[in-house]
Amino acid sequence: MNRLLGSAATRFYLKRPWQLFLAITGISLGVAVYVGVDLANDSARRAFELSASLITGQTTHHLVGVGGDIPNSLYQDLRLKHGLQLAAPIIEDEIRLTQAPSREFTVIGIDPLKEPSFRGFSSFVPGDGTTLRQLIAEPATILAPESLMLELGLQVGSELDLIFENTQKTVQIIGPVTEISLAEEGATTPIVMDIATAQELLDRKTISRIDLILSDIEAEKISSLGLSGVVLVNANDRNSSFDELARAFRINLTALSLLALLVGIFLIYATMSFAVIQRRKTFGVLRAIGVSRNQLLMGILVEAFLIGSIATILGLLLGHQLAKILVDLVLQTVGDFYFRSNVAAANPPPWLYAKGLVLGLGTSLLAAAAPALDAARTSPHAAMSRSALERSALKLTDRAALFSIPIMAAALALLGLSTRSLFVGFAGLFFIIAASALLVPTTTRIFAKVVEPIFEYIFGIAGSLAARGVSTSLSRTGVATAALSVAVATVIGIGLMVNSFRISVEEWLSGTLTADIYLSTEADNAITTSQIEAINISPGVLGTSVTRFTRIPTEIGEVSLRAQMPGPQGWGVTVNDQVPQAIEKLGSNQGILISEPLAFRRNLTPGDELYLPTIQGQKPFIILGFFRDYNTNVGTVLMPLEMYRTYWQDEMVNGVGIYINPRADRNNTVSGIRGILGNNSTIRMRSNDFIRERSLSIFDQTFKITEVLRILAGLVAFLGLASALMSIELERGREVAVLRAMGIAPRQIGILTLSQTTLLGLASGLFAMPLGIIMAGLLIFVINLRSFGWSMNLELSSQPLLLGLLLAVTASILAGIYPAMRAVKSGVATQLRDE
Amino acid sequence: MIHVENQIELVNIQKNYGPHVVLSNCDLSVRNGEFVVVVGRSGSGKSTLLNLIGGLEQPTDGTIKVSGNSLTNLNEEELSRLRRQKLGFVFQFFNLIPTLTALENIRLPMALNRINKKETIERALSLLEEFGLSGFDQRFPEELSGGEQQRVAIARALAHKPDIILADEPTGNLDLDTANEVLELLNRTCRQRGTTLIMATHSKKVIGLADRVFSIHGSDLNEAIM
Repeated sequence: MNRLLGSAATRFYLKRPWQLFLAITGISLGVAVYVGVDLANDSARRAFELSASLITGQTTHHLVGVGGDIPNSLYQDLRLKHGLQLAAPIIEDEIRLTQAPSREFTVIGIDPLKEPSFRGFSSFVPGDGTTLRQLIAEPATILAPESLMLELGLQVGSELDLIFENTQKTVQIIGPVTEISLAEEGATTPIVMDIATAQELLDRKTISRIDLILSDIEAEKISSLGLSGVVLVNANDRNSSFDELARAFRINLTALSLLALLVGIFLIYATMSFAVIQRRKTFGVLRAIGVSRNQLLMGILVEAFLIGSIATILGLLLGHQLAKILVDLVLQTVGDFYFRSNVAAANPPPWLYAKGLVLGLGTSLLAAAAPALDAARTSPHAAMSRSALERSALKLTDRAALFSIPIMAAALALLGLSTRSLFVGFAGLFFIIAASALLVPTTTRIFAKVVEPIFEYIFGIAGSLAARGVSTSLSRTGVATAALSVAVATVIGIGLMVNSFRISVEEWLSGTLTADIYLSTEADNAITTSQIEAINISPGVLGTSVTRFTRIPTEIGEVSLRAQMPGPQGWGVTVNDQVPQAIEKLGSNQGILISEPLAFRRNLTPGDELYLPTIQGQKPFIILGFFRDYNTNVGTVLMPLEMYRTYWQDEMVNGVGIYINPRADRNNTVSGIRGILGNNSTIRMRSNDFIRERSLSIFDQTFKITEVLRILAGLVAFLGLASALMSIELERGREVAVLRAMGIAPRQIGILTLSQTTLLGLASGLFAMPLGIIMAGLLIFVINLRSFGWSMNLELSSQPLLLGLLLAVTASILAGIYPAMRAVKSGVATQLRDE
Repeated sequence: MIHVENQIELVNIQKNYGPHVVLSNCDLSVRNGEFVVVVGRSGSGKSTLLNLIGGLEQPTDGTIKVSGNSLTNLNEEELSRLRRQKLGFVFQFFNLIPTLTALENIRLPMALNRINKKETIERALSLLEEFGLSGFDQRFPEELSGGEQQRVAIARALAHKPDIILADEPTGNLDLDTANEVLELLNRTCRQRGTTLIMATHSKKVIGLADRVFSIHGSDLNEAIM
């Protein structure tokens, strides 16, 4: 690059430090948002993968008990009678620690000699096998995850007190479970012990499941044995629900990262292209004095490269920090929803940063190249002419508006094409956003024309000039308003979706939590029939609902089973009204209800039969209808308790809903119930309000990441607009000086500048409102439904809409303050003298 | 309106830019309807003098009275009102608002003075016709030649019927023939309307048209003997 050309470019920015600051900040933030979301996405992806591999490993099949655990003898039979060598018994349970009583930890009992063939646990148990041998040889010994040892300040040799079903037992740590996988792969490992130790400590004579590595022939052979009380499940099927949910969650995160990419590109493009467009006249002069097209283009690209490099590096650093926050939020959600154990942050691979680098530098170069090419191609005279630029911008916006029609049509066609594909749903959403963005400059121009008389009436000539300035500066304002509209629409869309979701969850909780008090337990036989009968006749109690919650393996993956005897206020379900009398039929044991996610995922309709493994073998159950269930993504089956007991011969109860007479003294009633239950700490007693508040707080926690993204989108909107407005207003310095010389008062200049920026914000905000509603509708009726199978209503609450409008207007006013102050304060004579 | 004998009165004016003294001990009195020319080399302080009279800059020392108002006693709002009502500017580089048409540029100062829209359009069209620019009303500045732009700028300066026109090198950016046309136009219209005209220029032709000529040499302002 010619040194003088370089000096000219450097001085351009040195004279406009705020613009340089905004350019660097804009690009940095664009890169940071993208990198941050991408890193979070990657961590979640790898957490899912690792979790799947920890659960499954090389296992091809699981042998699972129909009514819960399976006897030890079955494992012996498989090995001795049927000659299966690749079989590993597993015990899995939850315990608490006296050192951290509020949390549950997963304990896994394994056969250390078998495991290497399955999951390779031994690969992250350090040493030369001594600890594994000790694990087998010494009773009450465990391997503890490194993170846990670090957290509780434990050493090898330390003792740990486990609490299981009210009993405390002491174990000794004989080694850590190496945190290779924790630090690098993202999931905490369970407390590992020998299976014999697990049976002794957990006081059980059964095992949770048997993992198998089988050929197809062997699998068929096992199936043909007709083993009673167990079902052979393909490992892929068993985790298929998990896999699908993991996929849906990842696709959602990918969409967020694409959205971040979109706003990032918008911001970088807007920032960099303004810096070039502003000097179009200078480029015309340079061309006129003999600078060649290539020299000019190269000069601009070098400049864009330098600014882009500095900003991208800053963006990567910022993105790394942002990722720490986002990763925590994402993994917390993943942990809340999909894993019992926590998952920790992951070390991201370098190629993710490389993607951010390409985005930052690539978009900076592209953004600068487009107007630079335009300036280099046009004749020097035309390049110097602002009106030529604005005329071409006007044509371009009209073409963009026309082009949005086929894109919108394509979006609608895509959405109509498939009612189940999530990918197609996202493609439709992005096409709609793109089409809307193309419409923004034209609608802004029309809006400015419509409001010009109003602005003139309110603000006088300054208002009129402001309105005109919007439509006569499309080369500057077009991209800015489109970026602002998309960012604000995102804020509105996500806000409306979260709000609608929250309202639906609240309604669902009201419909589900009909009892006043809930008893629950994870211990077997903790709640007895006599206790339930006593509660029923206890003073102040109107009645009870009795529930058995369990999980059963099915041909279509594991499902939750809720077997219920309804209470005085019914079943506590919100039923989809596709089939009338579904509830009545359920009450008369004619079939089952299934949750919406299960119905959607398996494409089941009322009238279909669902085969469930009972102790009498596989039995068909008629699906009577669907009910809303936001509690779990794993499909849920609801059936009468009587039906369950008939088919599963299981009399256990682990949930009781207690209805209290509103006129009774609640405290006395609760005391009475406590008296009946005795001093059994395995039974949890929770009030309706507690569960409701807890559920909503989990909901709010889950959507924290969307809140962070909303804030980021708002910031992007502000920065995008600020840099655009600043460049517009700063280059109007001479024009403002002429107006001042003609007698426009400083206050009016301030009004002119602020009313112009406000107008842009208002136009963007108003356009973003319908776009936001459309986005919310698509998120609710397409994306959420296709991702999780959850149905919900779109609640058009005013708060997210007004908040979006307020964001747009506030961003535009804030963005206009500095240029307004500068316009007021700058010396008129100096501006007039300046060329 | 209060009638004042001397429409512009500068007493003992000093203007410094940092250590650099541009004008010192300058006195100037200009009567109603007078055509005064200020000559001097580039950078001698001609534009500064006009800026001081227009209230665009404040003197370092001394007092300036324009239409009976002491500029040093006026705040920004009052200075703006004075410029809006009493003054018209004509610049060397025209300085038309690029996003407004010729008609709208001329209407602008009238609109600023809250003259009703119909009247502003009529008066602007009439000025365009008077200045030989009929049919150019919807053109943007960049669609006009230099001479046409300057004629629009003069029309804009006269549109709201100011008492004083301050013209800073109005022909400095024009060819000789166009410059002569513009000068004659300015002189004729100001004299017809009784508008005071103060012009900073290099043009020798102007000297012959002016009532009085002042020159600036080394920060001193002196009346030249014609």
